[in-house]
Amino acid sequence: MLIDQLDLRRAIAGDERALQRLWSQHAPHIDAVVRRLCGDPELAADVSQEVWMQIFRALPSYRGDSQFGTWAHRIAVNRTLNALRKIRRLAKLEVDIEDDSALVEPDTDRTFIAESIEQAMTRLSPGARAVFVLHDIEGYTHGEIGAELGITPGGSKSQLFKARAKLRKLLAHLVDDPNSVAGKVHVARV
Amino acid sequence: MSHVSEDRFDQLVSDERARDGATLNTWEIIAERAKEEGLIRDIPRLRWGSAPWTRAAAAVVMLAGGVAIGRWMPASGGSEAPVAAATPAPAPARFTTVEEAWATLDRASAEYQSASAFLAANNSGAASVADSVSIYRNRLAALEQLMNATATARENAPRDPVINQYYLAALGAREATFQQLGAVRPANLRLKGF
Repeated sequence: MLIDQLDLRRAIAGDERALQRLWSQHAPHIDAVVRRLCGDPELAADVSQEVWMQIFRALPSYRGDSQFGTWAHRIAVNRTLNALRKIRRLAKLEVDIEDDSALVEPDTDRTFIAESIEQAMTRLSPGARAVFVLHDIEGYTHGEIGAELGITPGGSKSQLFKARAKLRKLLAHLVDDPNSVAGKVHVARV
Repeated sequence: MSHVSEDRFDQLVSDERARDGATLNTWEIIAERAKEEGLIRDIPRLRWGSAPWTRAAAAVVMLAGGVAIGRWMPASGGSEAPVAAATPAPAPARFTTVEEAWATLDRASAEYQSASAFLAANNSGAASVADSVSIYRNRLAALEQLMNATATARENAPRDPVINQYYLAALGAREATFQQLGAVRPANLRLKGF
C-alpha cells in the first residue's frame, strides 16, 4: 500500500487528523495481533495504547523500506512482547521451554468449551500462545521467533507442536463445517 | 480425548489469520494519550512554513520531484521529456494570505502524488523494456542515495520541516519508481539490487 506522503508528513508534525487516519487504517490489524498475544482483553487494550504511542513516536524513522503496515506490525509485536515480559507472563517460557505444565491450565480443560480458535488460545500459556500466534497466524519463522522470545528455534518448534496439539484437543467438539466463518463456528457441546 | 481434524484445524487457523476484528480502543482514548505525550500538537501551519526560505524550499522540492519522476514517458521513445511540473509557479501576487498559499501548496502536493501514482499504474507503453528497467534502476539508486543523505540529516534534526520535505519527496518518488519498475520488468527478472 502506498502510504499517503502528505498524511505521513502531517502525522510526523503532530496533526491529529493525519494520525487518526493512520490509526483508522491500520488499527484493526495491529490491535488483532496485540489481542492474540495478550489473551486478556483488558491487558490488550492497555498494551495497544502503548503500541500506538510507540508507532507515533517512531514515525520519523519510517524509511519506506517496507509497507507501512508491516513496519507498524513489527513495532506492535516487539512492544507487546516487551510488555508481557515486564509483567512476567513470558518468564516461564523463557526459563523452561520444555516444561509441559506451562502449556495450559489442565484442571479446567475438561469443562472448557472453546467456541473459536481465539478463545482456545486463551488456554495456552503466554509463551506457548506467543509461539503459536507468531508462527501460525503472523508467519514468523522459528528463527525469528527464537530471536524475539530469547529461545532456540528448536524450542520454538517444540512449543508449537505442543500448542497445536492442545488447541486441536480444545477444539475437538467443533463440527467439521468447512463453510463456517471464524468467530462464528458451530460447536457441539459434549 | 479426540482432536479436531488437521484439515479443519488448518482452516480455523487460516480464518483466524484473515480476521482483524474490532479495535481495542477508541480514537478518543488514543488521542488523549498522544496529546499527553506531545505527539498531537496544535501546530499552526505558519509555524513551520512562515519563513520565506522554507516556502521556497517546499517549492523547490515540488519542482525537483516533478523533474525527477513526473513526466518520463517510455512511449515517447525513452527520452526524458521536458517536465510540465517544472514550469515556474504563478506569481506570489496571486495569493492574498499565507494560509491561502499553503492550502494551494497542499493541494498541489496531493495532486502531484496522485498523478505520480497514476503514472506508475498506467505507464505501460515502454518502447524498450531493457532501457526502462535500466532507467528505473538508476533512478532508484539515486533516490536511495538522496534518502540516505536526508535520513542522516533527520537523525540530527528530526523535526526540521525542510529536511522532512526533501526526505518525503524522495520517499514518494522511490515508491512510485518501484511501482513503475514492477510494471515494466519481465516476470522472470527479480530485483536484487540497483
